[in-house]
Amino acid sequence: MTQTTLTVNGQTRTLEVEPRRLLADIIRTEFDVSGVHIGCAHGVCGCCTVHIDGIPRLSCLTFAVQCDGKEINTVESLGGFDATHVLQQAFKSEHGLQCGYCTPGFLMTLAPYVEKKVANGEMPSDEEIREAISGNICRCTGYHGIVAAVRKAISNQLEGQQA
Amino acid sequence: MKAENPRQIGARVQRFEDVRLLSGVARYIDDIRLPNCLHLTFARSQMAHGRILDVDTSALEDIGYPTWVFTGKDIGDLSMKAHQDVPEMQYSEQPLLARDVVRFVGEPVAAVLAEDPYLSEDAAEMVFIDCDPLPVVGTMDQARDPSIPPIHDGWKSNVFIERQMKGGDLEAARANAAYVVRRTFRNQRQTGVPMECRGVVAQYSPGDRMLTVWSSTQMPHLVRTYISEELDLPESRIRVIAPEVGGGFGVKGQVFGEEVLVAWLAMKTQRPVKWIEDRRENLIASIHARDHAHTLEAYVSKEGRLLGLWADISVDVGAYSTFPFTAAGDPGMAAKVMPGPYDFQAYEATFRALASNKCPLGTYRGVARPSAVFSQERLMDEIAKEIGMDPIEFRLKNIIREFPYKNVLGFTYDPGSYAESLEKIREILADDIAAARETRHSKEKRIGVGLACFIEQTAHGTPDFTRRRVPIETGYIAARVEMQPDGTVVIGLGLQSHGQGLETTMAQVAADALGIDPKDVFVRHGDTLTSPYSVGTWGSRGGPLGGGAVHLASLKIADKLKAIAAHQLQSNKDQISLGGGKAYITDDPSRYIPIRTLARQALRNVENLPEGMIPGLEAEYSLDGPRDGTYSNAVHAAVVEIDVPTGKLKLKRFVVVEDCGTIINPLVVDGQVRGGVVQGIGSALFEHMIYDEQCQPLTTSFADYLMPLAPELPNIEVHHIETPTPLNPIGAKGLGEGGAIGPAPAIANAVSDALGVEVNETPLTLNAIWRLSAHIRGEAS
Repeated sequence: MTQTTLTVNGQTRTLEVEPRRLLADIIRTEFDVSGVHIGCAHGVCGCCTVHIDGIPRLSCLTFAVQCDGKEINTVESLGGFDATHVLQQAFKSEHGLQCGYCTPGFLMTLAPYVEKKVANGEMPSDEEIREAISGNICRCTGYHGIVAAVRKAISNQLEGQQA
Repeated sequence: MKAENPRQIGARVQRFEDVRLLSGVARYIDDIRLPNCLHLTFARSQMAHGRILDVDTSALEDIGYPTWVFTGKDIGDLSMKAHQDVPEMQYSEQPLLARDVVRFVGEPVAAVLAEDPYLSEDAAEMVFIDCDPLPVVGTMDQARDPSIPPIHDGWKSNVFIERQMKGGDLEAARANAAYVVRRTFRNQRQTGVPMECRGVVAQYSPGDRMLTVWSSTQMPHLVRTYISEELDLPESRIRVIAPEVGGGFGVKGQVFGEEVLVAWLAMKTQRPVKWIEDRRENLIASIHARDHAHTLEAYVSKEGRLLGLWADISVDVGAYSTFPFTAAGDPGMAAKVMPGPYDFQAYEATFRALASNKCPLGTYRGVARPSAVFSQERLMDEIAKEIGMDPIEFRLKNIIREFPYKNVLGFTYDPGSYAESLEKIREILADDIAAARETRHSKEKRIGVGLACFIEQTAHGTPDFTRRRVPIETGYIAARVEMQPDGTVVIGLGLQSHGQGLETTMAQVAADALGIDPKDVFVRHGDTLTSPYSVGTWGSRGGPLGGGAVHLASLKIADKLKAIAAHQLQSNKDQISLGGGKAYITDDPSRYIPIRTLARQALRNVENLPEGMIPGLEAEYSLDGPRDGTYSNAVHAAVVEIDVPTGKLKLKRFVVVEDCGTIINPLVVDGQVRGGVVQGIGSALFEHMIYDEQCQPLTTSFADYLMPLAPELPNIEVHHIETPTPLNPIGAKGLGEGGAIGPAPAIANAVSDALGVEVNETPLTLNAIWRLSAHIRGEAS
């Protein structure tokens, strides 16, 4: 057992953790967070993507003990119960989700991407957006609505800046 | 003046279920956590075919923490049985834990439980399964080889079933043919891959003698019925709940042995039991799909009219028959739908289900139709080429134009837009067809255009299943609609929603009938305690049958609301309209009563009701499918660009023209079509469940089993034609599966067009295309 201090969505706890336990499992069981989904547990599908110190990472390929002292954020931290984040709203209006299982992973991959594009005042092409989500698998939407949602989330904010 | 009420059916309503899915609070099967729970891990067979000598669990005695272990010897005769009730069928029975023989890699042999999932996994690895290998049946040829012994005791051969379907005079068609075109086509084995694996949690409560089973399933009531029959428990004491379900696509549209076993283990151990499938198990041991081989022979007149079709259909259905659609499902469906959208009246098909030492075959989006349409539409292109006709012209010459149309097997097609869809796609593709022609002699880059024209029987109901004689038995969908005293509505829906948006679309349907806002309609589903009995969500039946049932049940309530309003407005029921939350006099909308006031009167201030009226606003309706279902139609077109030196294929464009009758919500319909298309593109280009000669599965992770990713795909263009069907109360036909049916034939036809070769097999991987283009590079293929 290894003493590990984790901050998940702002809640800090120190736990005795077996070194082999995956970060995804610890977040789900110890912090009772349901927005981290395991799709493959071998690092291909991206469902389990969380932010570790602000950077998107696969929580199924990360041991909890590697994250001692780190700040972890899950989809719950984006827009709360009402899913108010601009990207969440765009996923809703553009039908960027169906069963919802892969959705938290896409949102956590894309939130910093959208933020960066908006900060740089860039509108990416569809090809660039598709490249940005190449590490996430969605089986329901055919990615079409997701690409449209990213486009909308960025263009809405860019227009907001101009206004 | 008349009031204008915006119709909800047809409106692009954003989905009500999205907020909980986006925020992360939705609860899927692995989020069901019960105190004192035992976690289950299976020890599964590593051998494809073998006689079990011993299942040694002695290592668990010294493991240092509590474990519970069960093998085939501990579970009596509990098993999965799925028989088609016809004399030709050879029956298979799969014990919930293998008893004497294992028949595929991944078959459950022992159930190991511990108080933590990491510990149950450790313990399961210490179970030693001692097996003597038996000869393996791994190919269709081996399955038909009489010198290889059958894989099931008492069987005469490795053929589950072989039957025929026929209609008209095929001999005459053959005799009158100016052209006979014969081809053989092959589609690979696949699996459906919902992003959430399966899982089951069960808890038995001795106080009220209630067994509660949570399962990631598309068919909770059917799971309940099977558990009841197998465990001999009253159905009234079993509650099955499908929580949030992370995709199904047909994979979760069968009853699985794990569902029965976890329920049994919860009763046996008197503790909650939880099993969460991992991805390897999901890939090798849930349900596989496709794996078809077809030989077709078409008889065509001098003028280019199809006179008749002969078909020989084989499907490798794996080791066991699955419940409720059986081993006969895929081959029977392929034979039934092969005549397609074309007008000819002579047909004969022989179809068979072959057993092998592979994972059992079950339903996956499209069920046999992706393979049938692949063969049918590849053949149409091959015939057109052979007789020197444009492929679209050839199709238009043979397409059905008069409705209702009775096909060669006696199925009646309701009105559709077959010819119109073909004309429309020809218009859309005109520039691409011209561009493709320009590259015809290039040794570098070739462009090809291909299309697939098809119909899909949807809204199947009881008459269809009675004909098939499979254990699904029935096909109606029930809805119970209940208006509350405040005027809001709860629908108990017999369907289960796993991404289709039924909480929104069914609310739209009810809102139109009741004249209220769809936001005031709450759709409950996936729980046998709150929903009326129905067989679940699959087979492109939700929109037409669920929507129809909600519509008709809501009309009953609307009728009562009108009666109450008429009484109070001193008018007649038939002069009352509902809309905008009000019941009003149709010719004088200024005279109205809010619907919420009427609801309160119907349920609380009942002294205001007309004399003799029974209080309450509740209605149920069960809607069954029409005799032959309703037929959706579509044309899919692919434009591909092939780099000849490397064989690399780029999908430049993918266009759909589809007709599913009345569209309830265009946002949802487009999403279903595009999602289906991308799965079909997966079938065409990437996905392949590969076994070696010993029937060891080789594609056991997402690094090996490749699915379409975003960068490989174009935006999918979708165009609609709406031909409402007279066979459904809201005019809707089914559309959930159609997207997955057309891509493989459309893409194969495009590749054939680009390279000038026959393309008779999928998947069209980089290697496959490189081989198909060898002649252009001047190499021997």
